[in-house]
Amino acid sequence: MTAFHKLIANVKTALERAPRPAEPGHAADGGAAMPVAGDLRRTELIAQFARELAAVGGVFLGALTADQARPRIVALARELGAKAAACGAGVTMDLAPLARALEQSGVAMTRADRKSVADRAAYRDRLAQADLGIVEAHAAIAATGTLAVVGAADRPNSLTLLPPANLILVHADRVMPDLAAAVAALGTATFVTNRVALITGPSRTADIEKMIVLGVHGPKQLYAIAVWPAEGAR
Amino acid sequence: MAAAKPDPAPDFFATSRAGVADAELRRKLENSTGRHLDHVAQMRAEFPPYDAERDAARAIKEDAIGRLDQLLIELKHQLEANGCTVFIAADAAEARDYILKVARQAGARRVVKGKSMATEEIALNPALEAAGLEVVETDLGEYIVQLRRERPSHIITPAIHLSKEDIGQLFADKLGIPYSAEPATLTAAARDRLRGIFLAADMGITGVNFAVAETGTLVLVENEGNGRLSSTLPETFIAVMGIEKVIPRLADVPHFLEILARTGTGQKLTTYTNFISGPRRKGEADGPGAMHVVMLDNGRSTMLADPVLREALYCLRCGACLNVCPVYRRIGGHAYNSVYPGPIGSIVSPNLFGSAAAQLPFASTLCGACRDICPVKIDIPRILLHLRWKEGQATPPIKWPADARRARAGVARFARMARHPRTMRLLTRAAAIFARPFAHDGYLKRMPGAFRNWTRWGRDFPAPRFRRRKHVP
Repeated sequence: MTAFHKLIANVKTALERAPRPAEPGHAADGGAAMPVAGDLRRTELIAQFARELAAVGGVFLGALTADQARPRIVALARELGAKAAACGAGVTMDLAPLARALEQSGVAMTRADRKSVADRAAYRDRLAQADLGIVEAHAAIAATGTLAVVGAADRPNSLTLLPPANLILVHADRVMPDLAAAVAALGTATFVTNRVALITGPSRTADIEKMIVLGVHGPKQLYAIAVWPAEGAR
Repeated sequence: MAAAKPDPAPDFFATSRAGVADAELRRKLENSTGRHLDHVAQMRAEFPPYDAERDAARAIKEDAIGRLDQLLIELKHQLEANGCTVFIAADAAEARDYILKVARQAGARRVVKGKSMATEEIALNPALEAAGLEVVETDLGEYIVQLRRERPSHIITPAIHLSKEDIGQLFADKLGIPYSAEPATLTAAARDRLRGIFLAADMGITGVNFAVAETGTLVLVENEGNGRLSSTLPETFIAVMGIEKVIPRLADVPHFLEILARTGTGQKLTTYTNFISGPRRKGEADGPGAMHVVMLDNGRSTMLADPVLREALYCLRCGACLNVCPVYRRIGGHAYNSVYPGPIGSIVSPNLFGSAAAQLPFASTLCGACRDICPVKIDIPRILLHLRWKEGQATPPIKWPADARRARAGVARFARMARHPRTMRLLTRAAAIFARPFAHDGYLKRMPGAFRNWTRWGRDFPAPRFRRRKHVP
């Protein structure tokens, strides 16, 4: 405690010695979540997101309804030769039907319910063995091709970290124009209570002669689907 | 590994000469820094609000550093409310001791580190190794220089001084894999080796890019995922931050993220931006059981008290000023003998490492390229001049090499002369008479003796003319 007071005293004295500048107007606010103007605006944002994701080495599988997405994901698991996959709880959608569909196609599923997460070491081992990790993002950012994934007890962070491939779903209404809008939409409280990871493409490095290599410590492959609400749900 | 760190080895003049003489090093540096600058130019062109975002980011830093005391109190309070343990380290030794104490109490044996300049600054690795801990750097570039028992030569591209062939040979020797100079193969080999180390680690240590006072949130920016792993898997997590990393609000973060990667790596955004506010909560499957935040002063409050040097605390450690610097690009990072090389290193090192780094403010041509590329527009040349001016007060004084001593004595003599207008006039007239026989077509192209160097490399000098001019008193 005294060390802290000493530091603060030091800093205070330093500030007084070189007077602080006049109270500046604070830089422009992040801007509130942008209201989605309608289908046209939504489609534009999704298209931009898809372009930016491709530019950083990710793969956009399309804007699909939940019913279309399920078979597409089962096909993806087959293309990847995935034997085991792990899946977190959804945000706006129920991922249980997807997990069942994958199981039926012969993929061993690890869910993130209370029971499977209770033994943390065992859960981590299963994630480390999984070929594909599946989560739903809270938001996407069109300008940068970014997915904002909020960690939680039933959506562990390691899901987007340990498996070599990731599939991230995002609700079509939650594609934000830019970073400031996404941060504002998540709200400060989320950042205090949960870990948030902004994910922009597959893990990468340029540490050897500034040449880009994908797939260092995190996933080498990143797939995304914008999930369009079913016709009846509009 | 006891990375050789004889902190700032005194002689910049010797090491910089060695750097200049190394043509191979220069080729590698030109290669990598050139590629970086192309990316940055493209990013700036594609993002019209770039300059406005720089101004916004700088304004936030000015505000934050201007009320650093309040923000640190708020940050500490919020972090503690989130379940973190906060430690204030006045200097490097206090920070090291605290981290060692935490490691001992946690019974940690294996430490994984995310990339962190703050821990380089406090020479943490040798201290942990001396205490019997196994420490592994997990950023690919840091891993490479650790295997070579070197220090990073760049603050964001630690192995920029090495070619892919150098790294291929290193991995063949140290990891026992077949030689390959293919970056993808080398990266995969490092991934395989490090994945097991991650899963077995019991302590993770990383740096911090921004610390949000309002929410007690640490922001950690990276591309590889090693920072995420280091802060997620081990049971104990320690984040080490300089006190200048604090920013007021969460809404400030986007302004910095919009410019940091664009300038630092030529990306729109790094692959991972992690927001970490506290340890694992009840029922969660991962995240550390205990999270410690070390706030490091280590000379920063001294910089704060200097109205000119204070600006250096705005630095985001993006590394762009290294890549544009004509001096850095010719001598490489190791020549600076400091954890922080390049233009930013030249202004922060003297304060962090004392007289041993006093030479560094002179390692610049003052061309201003660093100021132009800086994402928060730090006026580095101005600070360099300020530090040069202060150099006279440095104890012990800088040991200049013979040629620099002669040049400085010459300039000092000229300065004395220039203060006396009459002498000055007399001497310039005498010099003109002396030079007349050497003039050809109005230029001096070859001069004798001591003046030879002036004209030696095709540097023609206008011949003095005799036109009587009325001097305005």
